[in-house]
Amino acid sequence: MLSIISLSLFGILNLFLGFLKSRRVLLPATLLFIALAFAANLLDWNHQYVYFRDMLRTNNLFINFSSIILLTTFLTVAISRSFGTDEEHTHPAEYYAIMLFSVVGALMMVGFENLIMLFIGLEILSVSLYVLTGSDKRSLRSNEAALKYFLMGSFATGIFLFGIALVYGATGSFNLSAIGSYVSGGPTTGISPLLYVGLLFILAGMLFKVSAAPFHFWTPDVYDGAPTLFTAFMSTVVKTAGFAALYRLLTVSFTGVYGLWWQVLTGVTVLTLLVGNITAVYQSSVKRMLAYSSVSHAGYLLIAVAAKTPQSPSAILFYSLAYSIATITGFAVLILVAEQKPIEGRPDERYEAFNGLAKRNPLLAFSLAVSMVSLAGIPLTAGFWGKFFVFSTAVDRGMTNMGMVLVVAVLMSVVGVYYYFRVIIASYLKTGDSEPIGIRPLYRFILVLTTALTIGLGLFPDVVRQLF
Amino acid sequence: MPVFYPLLAVNSAIPLSYFVLASAALFSIGLGVVVVKRNAIVVLMGVELMLNAANLNLVAFSRYDPDLKGQMFGLFVIVVAAAEAVVALAIVLLVYRRFQTVDLDEVNEMKR
Amino acid sequence: MPYLSLLIILPLLAALLVVFLPNRNQTTFRWIALVASLLNFLLTLLLFFRFDKSVAGYQFVEQTDWITLSLGPLGVVSIDYFLGLDGISLPLVLLAGLVLAIGAISSFEIKQKQKAYFALYSLLSASLMGCFVALDLFLFFLFFEFMLLPMYFLIGLWGGERREYASIKFFVYTFLGSIFILLVMIGLYLSVADPVETAVAMGLVPGKELVDANVIADVQNYLQEGRIEADQIVHTFSIPYMAEPGNYLPQSLLNIAADHVLFGQSARMLAFVLVFLGFAVKLPVVPLHTWLPDAHVEAPTPVSVVLAGVLLKIGGYGFIRIAYGLFPDGAIVFAPWLGGLGVLSIVYGALNALAMNDLKRMIAYSSVSHMGFVLLGLASLTSEGVNGALFQMVSHGILSAMLFLIAGVLYTRTHDRQLDSYRGLAARMPGYVTLTAIAFFGSLGLPALSGFIGEFFTIMGAFNSPYLPNWMAPVATLGIVLAAGYFLWTLQRLFFGEFWSKHEAGLLTDVTPRERLMLVPLAALALMLGILPGILLNLTQSTVGEFLKNF
Repeated sequence: MLSIISLSLFGILNLFLGFLKSRRVLLPATLLFIALAFAANLLDWNHQYVYFRDMLRTNNLFINFSSIILLTTFLTVAISRSFGTDEEHTHPAEYYAIMLFSVVGALMMVGFENLIMLFIGLEILSVSLYVLTGSDKRSLRSNEAALKYFLMGSFATGIFLFGIALVYGATGSFNLSAIGSYVSGGPTTGISPLLYVGLLFILAGMLFKVSAAPFHFWTPDVYDGAPTLFTAFMSTVVKTAGFAALYRLLTVSFTGVYGLWWQVLTGVTVLTLLVGNITAVYQSSVKRMLAYSSVSHAGYLLIAVAAKTPQSPSAILFYSLAYSIATITGFAVLILVAEQKPIEGRPDERYEAFNGLAKRNPLLAFSLAVSMVSLAGIPLTAGFWGKFFVFSTAVDRGMTNMGMVLVVAVLMSVVGVYYYFRVIIASYLKTGDSEPIGIRPLYRFILVLTTALTIGLGLFPDVVRQLF
Repeated sequence: MPVFYPLLAVNSAIPLSYFVLASAALFSIGLGVVVVKRNAIVVLMGVELMLNAANLNLVAFSRYDPDLKGQMFGLFVIVVAAAEAVVALAIVLLVYRRFQTVDLDEVNEMKR
Repeated sequence: MPYLSLLIILPLLAALLVVFLPNRNQTTFRWIALVASLLNFLLTLLLFFRFDKSVAGYQFVEQTDWITLSLGPLGVVSIDYFLGLDGISLPLVLLAGLVLAIGAISSFEIKQKQKAYFALYSLLSASLMGCFVALDLFLFFLFFEFMLLPMYFLIGLWGGERREYASIKFFVYTFLGSIFILLVMIGLYLSVADPVETAVAMGLVPGKELVDANVIADVQNYLQEGRIEADQIVHTFSIPYMAEPGNYLPQSLLNIAADHVLFGQSARMLAFVLVFLGFAVKLPVVPLHTWLPDAHVEAPTPVSVVLAGVLLKIGGYGFIRIAYGLFPDGAIVFAPWLGGLGVLSIVYGALNALAMNDLKRMIAYSSVSHMGFVLLGLASLTSEGVNGALFQMVSHGILSAMLFLIAGVLYTRTHDRQLDSYRGLAARMPGYVTLTAIAFFGSLGLPALSGFIGEFFTIMGAFNSPYLPNWMAPVATLGIVLAAGYFLWTLQRLFFGEFWSKHEAGLLTDVTPRERLMLVPLAALALMLGILPGILLNLTQSTVGEFLKNF
């Protein structure tokens, strides 16, 4: 809870820091703010608190999820640079502040106990992201992405909100447990049909936010158009928060109608896995490939949600952590590589831009390779354990229910190998420019850190898993 | 259905189902507008219709709720919608300045 | 002495050393890799002499806790660093030690990016060794998967023209297989309890050291009666525990007695098929073999040697240890199918080899054919068959290493492996002819050379097997006839007649001392095993005998 309040204050503080002449303070200050919020977050470890008349609840699950969100935000901010050098068009203080605000929204989505909080958290997160998507004001693509993201996003919000209204009509409450007791208590008149419709609408809205097929159509364009830094931010923080919220909502409120949403979710899962992975194969831009890969990872995460075993939350946590770290690394390398040789003033994000990366900067190539291997789910990396835990939940739920999904997931992880390895092929097996790429110390530190984390979690998953 | 709450008995002449139907109609119109229209501003209006349809529902249902939670939520929605509209108009303005159009089919830099 | 850990650690150390040494002195890298692999080979010889042949169980066991995950209501998962050696794995460890050392010598011809090459080669050696000695299924899987990465880069970076295609094909095929294995692995660990750790978790005994056979029996009884709290059950990946039906949770997915049904099939049968497919890609079994010729053709000689000599054996080893060891019921039900696939591989591989003009491709298909005998022997589930299959694996390891080295000899001289580019080489390369003839005759199953023993025993097993139909053994012998056909034909085309070559005659010099150093010991070994097969069969006999009691 303290973390939410402090982040809001830090965001405002950050805006004031923008008045300072020296821009140097901003980045360290923002990093410090996030670290402080992280520490504040940990204070509540092993305590259960409920705030504001059942609006918000913090427990260890909340702290775990928000720690992952704060960690990824920290990493994203650390790899951010001066958002362009053009004084007139850049307002780094504002972007940092908006990022902090969006994290507030994400944390509210993780800890909500009331649908009002979920809605507000979701909106804070989304509206901030609309702005961040369009932050590269001179780029047509960024503008277009922002417009598309906004229209699609608010469309989803409308559906989501209508769903909430219907659920409210059926149950007379926005409180998660109250809805839960209505659903599983079996009201004498039977569950109102409004609830079913409402649940489906809410699901559609949430699935849209985590970009699961068939609600994923906005993802590639928006991820492609947005500045890469914010693409990294979107594809990690939103996904983690979205899945935390989705899981919480479905298990606390709608366990009673598991039979209904399980069917919907398994269908969506299969579709998401198929669409995400198969389309990713055909991309010629690494950024778009990563966009589709984020769709496909939403599919794996959905498996754990649909399985709904006691192990699901920790599986989701571990998967999100592994996925976030690897994705940030991938995007971090992409940012550096793409800006080496711009094409028509635009960063070169094609596979070809990675040719011969191993020669130009071995560290970049190695951390990229580790992150891709982790995303592909190969042992000794964190991503493998993520897949392992997720598949375990599915096997535990029972093969009659999840067998089909598992088969698809298995086949699709093989497809995944193909497109993730294309990047590795380009950077190690092909020859390209030989001009070395230099990196700043902080950037280097972050890459080393994420790579070490990915391998460390792959070797000793129990260290983190004990906390979950 | 929640128990009928008799405080506002005067208005009870209009049954709840009318409100639900009206809001469903509003929602469908909004949805239709978003899907069919290509002008960004009009699409924006469609989205607003959808939000307001939900609002209408919230307020109507909250008549049966002693805590009036629905109305409170309604207020939040209005505030959020306003914030959203601000961002939206800023984005649309920016797009208009760059593309010289707000037609969604012509704002298509990505496919090029 | 933790001999088995040393087997893994030595090459790992070599890899680290290579990575961290400065780039200046490129030649030191190969010496480091060579010394490490030679030491490893000596270590395997030491193991051979210290191994107690009369014992059927695991020897040189090392066990330490590695990962312990509490999964709440699902109990605890414990993954151990668990190594051991028995009569099934020892021959393969010996083979791996030998072939990896030969491969290291052969790697001296690698001239570019030596640092990366020798680091990856050492890494590959470590994970190959790890595969053969790991007794924890998870640890095995880890080595099994991890070996793909160095192999991928070894083919992809130092390969021929279509190396990218070949390396990604290799990777995707084997990865698909290993994901199947992963699924079964998850099912297994959810189904199997570790009686020792569970006893400790239940508080029956204060420590692991105090657990004896009685306690284990008690725990197994409690388990079957469902009297253990779910969160006290310690799930395990230990292969020996998985092989005991008593350790399976009563209603679990893969319990024999529970007989769960998935998609209209028995869950255990399905699991067997998945594991089988996983290893069948590696072996390889027709129709999953298509990555092999591509990978061989593109790979540089030493990588081909290791690929054929060691990597394929992991497929066979996985069949015995995991598919057969953990699902004996599946092995019986599917025996005719597996035998049939084995025969198909034998005949199909041989027919293809007959049609090839590229020497390496021809050898690759002959590998497919020879590994078919392994599958046939295993499927027979007879003592002759299984012992023969193990023998055939070792023999094929030695002979295929030789064959690929022989192809390499030609390739380093002219960069051309097409058979029709040469004629009458005997006149110019007499040493080469002799060694080639030994390898060819060994491979086609001439008595007194090792190939004969393996093929003879597997076919005998197939004849005697109660599970296989009678037609299989005779059809398999057809493979030997075909092998004689393609090997002799190749011999004739390459060496006999008047000398002629597309290439400058001066290029075609006889084998160098270094090549002789690699080929002669292999030839000697093939001859030794052919005359004294008992050396190997004595090692495997008692373990295989114990193993066959499951069926």
